[in-house]
Amino acid sequence: MTIGVKKVSLQRSMRDQIFLPAILEGLLTSARHFFKNTMTKGMGDVDTIRYGEPDVDPKTYYPARYRGVHRLMHREDGSVRCVACMCCSTVCPAKCIHIVAEDRRDDAEKAPASFVIDELKCVVCGLCVEACPCDAIRMDSAQHMTPTEERAEAVLGKIELMSRGSRSVAVQGGHGADYRATEPAADPRFPTAR
Amino acid sequence: MTSSDPPAPSRPRSATIIMQPEPPPPPAAARAATATTVKLPDNKPAPAPAAPNLPATPEPGGATVKLVIDGESLEVRKGTNVLEAAKLLGKDICHFCYHPGLSIAASCRQCLVEIEKNPKLQPSCQQIVAEGMVVHTESPAVLESRRALLEFTLKNHPIDCPICDKAGECTLQRHYMNHDHQLTRVDVPKIRKPKHKDIGREIVLDAERCILCSRCIRFCEEIPGTGELGMTFRGDHEILDVAPGHPLDNAYSMNVVDICPVGALTAKDFRFAIRAWELRSTPSTCTGCATGCAIEIHHKHEEAFRLVPRHDPDVNGHWMCDEGRHTYKTTDPAKRVRYARVDGEEVSLGHAIATAARRLRARGKKVAAVFSGTATYEANAALADLAGLLGAERFVVGRAAGKTDALLRDADKNPNIRGAITAAGNARHEGELALELAGRAYDAVLFVDGTFELSEVVRKTVESITSVVLADRVTPLVEACTIVLPTTSWAETLGTMINRQGRLRVLQPAWRAEADRREPADLIREVALAMGERDLGSSRDRTRAIAELHDHAELRRLTADPVAARPTLLRFSHSRG
Repeated sequence: MTIGVKKVSLQRSMRDQIFLPAILEGLLTSARHFFKNTMTKGMGDVDTIRYGEPDVDPKTYYPARYRGVHRLMHREDGSVRCVACMCCSTVCPAKCIHIVAEDRRDDAEKAPASFVIDELKCVVCGLCVEACPCDAIRMDSAQHMTPTEERAEAVLGKIELMSRGSRSVAVQGGHGADYRATEPAADPRFPTAR
Repeated sequence: MTSSDPPAPSRPRSATIIMQPEPPPPPAAARAATATTVKLPDNKPAPAPAAPNLPATPEPGGATVKLVIDGESLEVRKGTNVLEAAKLLGKDICHFCYHPGLSIAASCRQCLVEIEKNPKLQPSCQQIVAEGMVVHTESPAVLESRRALLEFTLKNHPIDCPICDKAGECTLQRHYMNHDHQLTRVDVPKIRKPKHKDIGREIVLDAERCILCSRCIRFCEEIPGTGELGMTFRGDHEILDVAPGHPLDNAYSMNVVDICPVGALTAKDFRFAIRAWELRSTPSTCTGCATGCAIEIHHKHEEAFRLVPRHDPDVNGHWMCDEGRHTYKTTDPAKRVRYARVDGEEVSLGHAIATAARRLRARGKKVAAVFSGTATYEANAALADLAGLLGAERFVVGRAAGKTDALLRDADKNPNIRGAITAAGNARHEGELALELAGRAYDAVLFVDGTFELSEVVRKTVESITSVVLADRVTPLVEACTIVLPTTSWAETLGTMINRQGRLRVLQPAWRAEADRREPADLIREVALAMGERDLGSSRDRTRAIAELHDHAELRRLTADPVAARPTLLRFSHSRG
């Protein structure tokens, strides 16, 4: 089988080939917008958000489900809610979450020894929040990732992520993670201590 | 090296379960003397570990039974159970307490099936097949009983999958997803039980997660015969426990982690190390002792996290020892030899090979070639070829003898001593090597791996003469030798070993070796080429020759098609629990 080749002539006119008229048209458009948005009353049709200025609060400006920088929530005792189940790092399409687990040596058993998110790799999809079974990771900080001078500064660790966090008493699966606290004391005949 | 008769362990009730090993091998020196008589492999009948439950595949010439399962008629071995028979049709009847290597308890009632002319549902694990039996495994009554029993099993289960090490390879999770998949209707508090109790050297018990299947209890009674575990209390309050002062510390205790269908028994060694779904699994062979148990290496990237036994009816049945499970630590990335060294300086691999060839080849040198019981057959055979070219004196070395028992552990801790002796031909014992090195009898010595105990005098000799070692990790010998060539570890090599039964055992690469690491036989070939000698053939060629010699289909497939050696993802692989 042979491959058919279709020849297309570019058909550029002289006007296209010298480019100058197109450049002038572009300059004219820019100039029109410049005068319209600076000289006219009411500043034309521009709706500039003065992000970062004191009178603009991004928390009220952004919609409630805006996905900002990650944060890690706290338990009532101030420790991290995360139990290092690795669901977020597994589901993460950018593979930007790195967790190392450790033994907490209490009833919660498992906690992250380190929890690192590379915000430069993050694609802000929010799947980590969806996957989290413990309401530990959230993206409702309503903050952009601020530009950094060094790449390493955009790699956030557990302390930094927890500093944005707050207390969460969310319960899961009906009775919640702390269902043990609400139930009657154990029968003394059965050993419950470790 | 070994006591002539290992002490017999206390026998369980059913003595057929204990596999009977051969009499222990003679000491290495005696074997070395008769090395030329060792055939490769002699294929003597292996001690078959009799599993209590007969597989359903009919034996040639054996009695068979015809039955119908879900409308499909099939012929199975007489005496097998319905659950095994259904496996032949690819039907995995869901079950918790049944294990093919253990006796039958029929206590979980999860495997109930409908049998025509029988008024009640029957546990398929306990029901022996009968002529003309008609079984329904997916009738409405069966499905309803499965769903209801799962709901009942989950009544007191804490559902703490986020912190459970078993999550991702959990039988309860799998069955819930396949057969139940409904919200809980339980509105009363769950029964609290000990949450993490240290019950032995290797094991942590979470009694809340336990579904009381008693697999671990039967294992301890029937396989090691120690019987540490037992049930206490009744009903909702029934818990698995050990007697005070009698922890679970037998030599096979970590098998209970594999057979536990939930995360009630977890290994301290693996606790919180990694999630099961992140691991990949490569079939291989344990290098801890001469038994050569079939294992799976569970690894992520270039790091192994645990070893679990793979079913091999001829060698290890379903089990392996705790000692063998810890051998994954010999692949520790922190202790790897990554680059070649000459006189203590890191150099390129080509330079090191050229230097080794030049120094070994110098005229009139007396060379000792040291074979090792921990290196593969390919490496030892390549060294034998090189030793022939150099006219070198041959020695076989290995690890020191260790603990043994009548089950799986062998006193000989070298996985391939038979292969090394066979490859070396007329070799001498390591004691003679130490004596002659101390007496400075050689100008050069070539070690095929880093396994050799150094005394102070021998270390000084090794440091002063031309000593070449092919090493995958740093050992005292590697630190003493003047030329170090980096090799792949046992987890990165495609190679073969010969176990105590004379069986061919296959090592598969779990990951690609990084940096300058090469297979030892390939390095020896390079050294020979640098000497200007003939091509000895690559490691892959040697493996292929062995595969052809023994008509080993699996090994032939591995050498022909490297894709076959790729790891498979572990997720719900049905290999555990």
